[in-house]
Amino acid sequence: MDGIAPEEALTALDAADRARRQVTEEVGLPRGYWWAMAAGWLVLGGLGSEAPSWVAGMATATFGAAHAALASRLLDGRRRTGRLQVSRAVAGHRVPLVVVGMLVGLVAVTVGAALALDADGADHAALWAAVLVAAIVGFGGPDILRVLRRWARA
Amino acid sequence: MTEPRFDELIHPSTRLSLVATLTAADWAEFGYLKEQLGLSDSALSKQLTTLEEAGYVTTERRLSGTRRKVRARLTDAGRDAFDGHIAALQEIITEAGAARRSEG
Repeated sequence: MDGIAPEEALTALDAADRARRQVTEEVGLPRGYWWAMAAGWLVLGGLGSEAPSWVAGMATATFGAAHAALASRLLDGRRRTGRLQVSRAVAGHRVPLVVVGMLVGLVAVTVGAALALDADGADHAALWAAVLVAAIVGFGGPDILRVLRRWARA
Repeated sequence: MTEPRFDELIHPSTRLSLVATLTAADWAEFGYLKEQLGLSDSALSKQLTTLEEAGYVTTERRLSGTRRKVRARLTDAGRDAFDGHIAALQEIITEAGAARRSEG
């Protein structure tokens, strides 16, 4: 340990910290999850707008069950890519909560948009609201989650 | 609390970054490590071999489609060595700060 200057020690600590932070950036969900979620949103919006309510209800329950099955494996945010698996300690325990909170928020946005479009006299308000939110989820899901994780320090 | 233990094997900057990356992951693929550390295939192989020989890292070859992929993971000994090394670096900085204060 002799002969190591404090400046050198500091540089080494910075390098180690930077390397670990790069791995933290890998916390998230696979790209396919967001596209599947967007597709599900569109299908449910379409069914909610066009199909009998029992069909929409069944589809929503099926979608929820499929998501729950996937969620147990993916929502911890450790498997965003197939190139590494982030450690449990780095991914933290709050990522699933952040994802679920985000989805609840998007449901609220969908309902709000549908009500606004309906009040405006638009046809197929539920479908258009779903299209809007599906686009947000599909294109912006990873970025929204990144921002929410930062806010929640998760 | 981890006991400070300076580790000459881990200290070189490339190896330190490599081990630090692996401490944050359960495993990482060769391609990911190569990209993050900006190393050539041969340079990364050499670093991994050195760490593997010291018992700090294990590598496994997995078949992915038609390609073989190498995954590296840190062993418990590697994690202990890294924690001890980080503690030693922090101790160097703390002692230097204390010495500076006592001089002032």
